[in-house]
Amino acid sequence: MTKQTFLHGKHVKLGAKMVDFAGWHMPVQYSSIIEEHKTVREAVGLFDVSHMGEVVVEGEDALPYLNKIVPQDITKLVDRKAVYCQMTNKKGGIIDDLIIYKIQDNKYLIIANASRIDEDLNWMVRNKLGFNVNIINESHNYSLLAVQGPKAVELVKKMGVSDLPPFFSIKRAELFNINLWVSRTGYTGEDGVEILVRNEFSETLWDKILEAGQEFGIKPIGLGARDTLRLEAALHLYGNDLDEETTPVEAGLSWSVPKSKVDDYNGKEVITNQLANGVEKRLIGLKMLDRNIARHGYDVYYNNEKIGHITSGGISPVRNDNIALAYIKNLSELVIGSVVQVEIRGKMHDAEIVKRPFVEKKNKVNT
Amino acid sequence: MSEGMLCTKSHEYILEQGGGKYIIGLTDYAVEQLGDIVFVELPEISSTFAKNESFATVESVKAASEIYMPISGTITDVNEDIIANPELLNEDPLGNAWLVKIESNAEDVEFKDLLEYSDYKEEVGA
Repeated sequence: MTKQTFLHGKHVKLGAKMVDFAGWHMPVQYSSIIEEHKTVREAVGLFDVSHMGEVVVEGEDALPYLNKIVPQDITKLVDRKAVYCQMTNKKGGIIDDLIIYKIQDNKYLIIANASRIDEDLNWMVRNKLGFNVNIINESHNYSLLAVQGPKAVELVKKMGVSDLPPFFSIKRAELFNINLWVSRTGYTGEDGVEILVRNEFSETLWDKILEAGQEFGIKPIGLGARDTLRLEAALHLYGNDLDEETTPVEAGLSWSVPKSKVDDYNGKEVITNQLANGVEKRLIGLKMLDRNIARHGYDVYYNNEKIGHITSGGISPVRNDNIALAYIKNLSELVIGSVVQVEIRGKMHDAEIVKRPFVEKKNKVNT
Repeated sequence: MSEGMLCTKSHEYILEQGGGKYIIGLTDYAVEQLGDIVFVELPEISSTFAKNESFATVESVKAASEIYMPISGTITDVNEDIIANPELLNEDPLGNAWLVKIESNAEDVEFKDLLEYSDYKEEVGA
């Protein structure tokens, strides 16, 4: 049975094209993916991402427990701050990528991928032995709305949250007499917020944001543009760019993994070893040198040898070219500027290794 | 515009030009389902394809789609305009944004599973 968010009726009424995604019936586009993409890069967009999972971990061992299930150092996390994490298995493979918020001592909030929430909960329960924690799945109680784009902050301020939390922080707030959480996070590379609200208020909030956002050119944005936006920002998508066979180091996420974490965690041996001695495969960014589009699953070649495959690929509406993320064999001669080939329908097409992200990120402004 | 148009269940159309010449395109329903079209790959002129054989690729933002021959034939012309500006396909699929022209000596049997445009529309529920 396909699930629906509390905003499903709103999407249908807006004429959205609906698709099944991770067991949810979700809007893929309202008007045009390219148009929606540009709206988020140039003005502000509103996303329903209520399919995402919310899990509360609380209890006297919440901190040591979380510190065991992710490579990140949760002991460094202060109240109302967030950290981007990967939950790893014993081999260092990624079970899911998460945002963990510290609400207060002994209480943390996890935002997880819709496609992985069942696996996440299974794994979390399996790792609970010996820890005095409660793992509470709150996903069915909360809706998540994202307001993203260069005009997002101005809009949220206008709606009444004068004092926005800094990047990767969360605060309690009141909007239109609704109590909610506002987090300075997103999945677009733009500045903006994600708003966590109890389901019963989500429709009112959706309408009010669209109304207040009119003067800023707000539009509702579907999952299609969410995907092109995150690809330009080179943000990983679980299931494409991350899986249980891939470690954070291989995924180019070493920046998020502390090298000196004292506590043991699942996969620490593998990850520590990779940080010190390197990896056999690694994630790269590619720019196609012709108009062909690299897509998930296509093979990557170098010197006529297959060296890897594309995990995410598509158009960049802002750069007006075609970009991709790929995993390749870690050959030292392949650096930024090197040219490899992508096999597309039986033919080789040149692609250049380029820096990630593909567009400049605009979200690390602490105002 | 859809006068005399025959459609496949895989959303291609053909339009007879007389003398064994046909225009092949993608239906308006198909381009609406695809959304923004961003890339079109068309075959070489003079190449020959069997009925139901893939002869072109149309890519939307989300995915690449193979396009199949409604009947057998030889490519006599390709629409360079849509290669240069794939978004034209979203605007005028039944008119200026045709895909290829072919010559065909297909027998009647190849036309048996093709649908009149109105029947096609009913079939796809549009």
